[in-house]
Amino acid sequence: MHRLLRSSMLIRMGLLVTAPLLAHDMWIEPMTFSPQTGEIVGVKLRVGQDLLGDPLPRTTSLINQFIVEDSEGRKPLVGRDGSDPAGFLRVAAPGLLVIGYNSNPSSVELTPEKFNQYVKEEGLDTIAALRASRNETGSKAREIFSRCAKSLVLSGPASETAGDHRLGFTLELVAERNPYTLRAGQDLPVRLTYENRPLAGALVVAMNRLNPSEKVTARTDKAGRVRLRLRPGGMWLIKAVHMIPAPAGANAEWASYWASLTFEQSRN
Amino acid sequence: MRHSHIVCGLTLMLCSGVQAHEIGTTRVSVSFQEGRTYDVEIVTDATALAEKLEVSPGSGFDEKFRQRVKIAFDGADVRPQISYSVEPPIDALSAAAATIHLTGQIPEKAQHFTWTFGWTFATYALTAGGATQWLEGGETSTPLALASLAPQPNRMSTAWRYLRLGFTHIVPYGLDHMLFVLGIYLLSRRARSVLLQVSAFTVAHSITLGLSMYGLISVPPRIVEPMIAISIAYVAIENIFSSELRSWRIALVFAFGLLHGMGFAGALKELGLPRSQFVTALLTFNVGVEAGQLAVIATAFLLVGWHCADRNWYRSRVVVPASMVIACTAVYWTIERLSL
Repeated sequence: MHRLLRSSMLIRMGLLVTAPLLAHDMWIEPMTFSPQTGEIVGVKLRVGQDLLGDPLPRTTSLINQFIVEDSEGRKPLVGRDGSDPAGFLRVAAPGLLVIGYNSNPSSVELTPEKFNQYVKEEGLDTIAALRASRNETGSKAREIFSRCAKSLVLSGPASETAGDHRLGFTLELVAERNPYTLRAGQDLPVRLTYENRPLAGALVVAMNRLNPSEKVTARTDKAGRVRLRLRPGGMWLIKAVHMIPAPAGANAEWASYWASLTFEQSRN
Repeated sequence: MRHSHIVCGLTLMLCSGVQAHEIGTTRVSVSFQEGRTYDVEIVTDATALAEKLEVSPGSGFDEKFRQRVKIAFDGADVRPQISYSVEPPIDALSAAAATIHLTGQIPEKAQHFTWTFGWTFATYALTAGGATQWLEGGETSTPLALASLAPQPNRMSTAWRYLRLGFTHIVPYGLDHMLFVLGIYLLSRRARSVLLQVSAFTVAHSITLGLSMYGLISVPPRIVEPMIAISIAYVAIENIFSSELRSWRIALVFAFGLLHGMGFAGALKELGLPRSQFVTALLTFNVGVEAGQLAVIATAFLLVGWHCADRNWYRSRVVVPASMVIACTAVYWTIERLSL
């Protein structure tokens, strides 16, 4: 097992050097997932692979929404342009805080090999099939991508009633149970929506900071749901990617949306 | 600083429509010194780097870090020296930054430099000679022409620079050489005496300066420097007892010139010579030294020689006292240099 783990790590590292231009995950990483009431929390944005990530400084021109929602309502995260952590929030009252970052689209151009590999890795089978049917498998791809990242932070005791909820992002993962109330052996139901409707057949991947190479994966059902059996402890990242043909005038063939959801379960 | 870099970069990217991922906080700058050494400075988030290094195979920072960094000259990889430091965050609004320096020699006749950095997932800026390339983690830079980044100084500027260095090595920095030249000047009021001695001295020190710089002869400074002091003392003491230019005086000045030439070579080696313009620098340094000597003689002539060389008290009130001062100073230097 140990050797297997080591070799998978080596492969992972090898991938980083040889295939660095693949699209990367983007997630929200607060400085703490369990702040005290009244505490000011720095919220980092990170981009990377297998939970190894680079900080993204606050880039005003990229932010569509960077917000936190608690029992009192929705507020923007404050921050100075170019700074890391990208935003700050004050915990006004005990309860669950839903942090959201929705970016404006960025564009990227990938070689046919890179694009095909990335489409395969992210489980975007319909896009691979569409490209094949259009005889485009051998052509380079221009893509616009948008980030739809969320994070759940808990101040004080967890409650079943105050859970995750929709922020209205184009692609969005919503935990249908408060993950902080989850006990060992219980599944976390997660719903994926695209333009506020359930998205079926999408690959959802979960990974843990303590062992990122061991992935928990599932495809969404007709109601856009997956049930994930997540080992308690450590920070979890749940992610899903959705791609569509780019709208006319986008100067790209494809448009992708990157949903992520992070939370950190205490070990008890 | 970092802040403005990112903002500038973003504006640039938006304007030029460059295709890229999000811009991170990593930045890399490359500098080349005199076409000989390179220095790549990487400033990146310390925590993120530490996390990536932790799961990397290998042991020790150097070994791990090398694995995802590539520096090449004309396509051939080089192995840089690595040093790093970590600055703690300056306030709650910032993060700890790691600064890594990769340094080494530029291979002979190298023309192009390429750079690959696989320790970031974000887009970063590579700055060299005021120009910026935006790169993805793992992407190889377009080749940078060394000629445009570390321009060779042109021949005229090298010549002028070493001419000045040669001159200032005599006036004002070379008091010992100045006293020696004064000693030569003071011997006799005849122009022929000065001319012959200066010529002998010049020919001699040019020979040993050249031979030393080409590495054909090498005498350690602990021998040369006291000998130079002795040569000054000798010339000054002889002035006190004689005012005739004898042929063996010229021979001795020639021999002393050989010593002073080795002294000039020691100084010139410390200043350093550009490999590409070795001869230019060597010749102009020597010419500068000559100009310095002539300036000393001209000044002495204008101050005392012109007005009083034909007075009958010139020898007793100028030559002898001045030579005694020079001799005392030189004897003191001899003792000082021998004891070092």
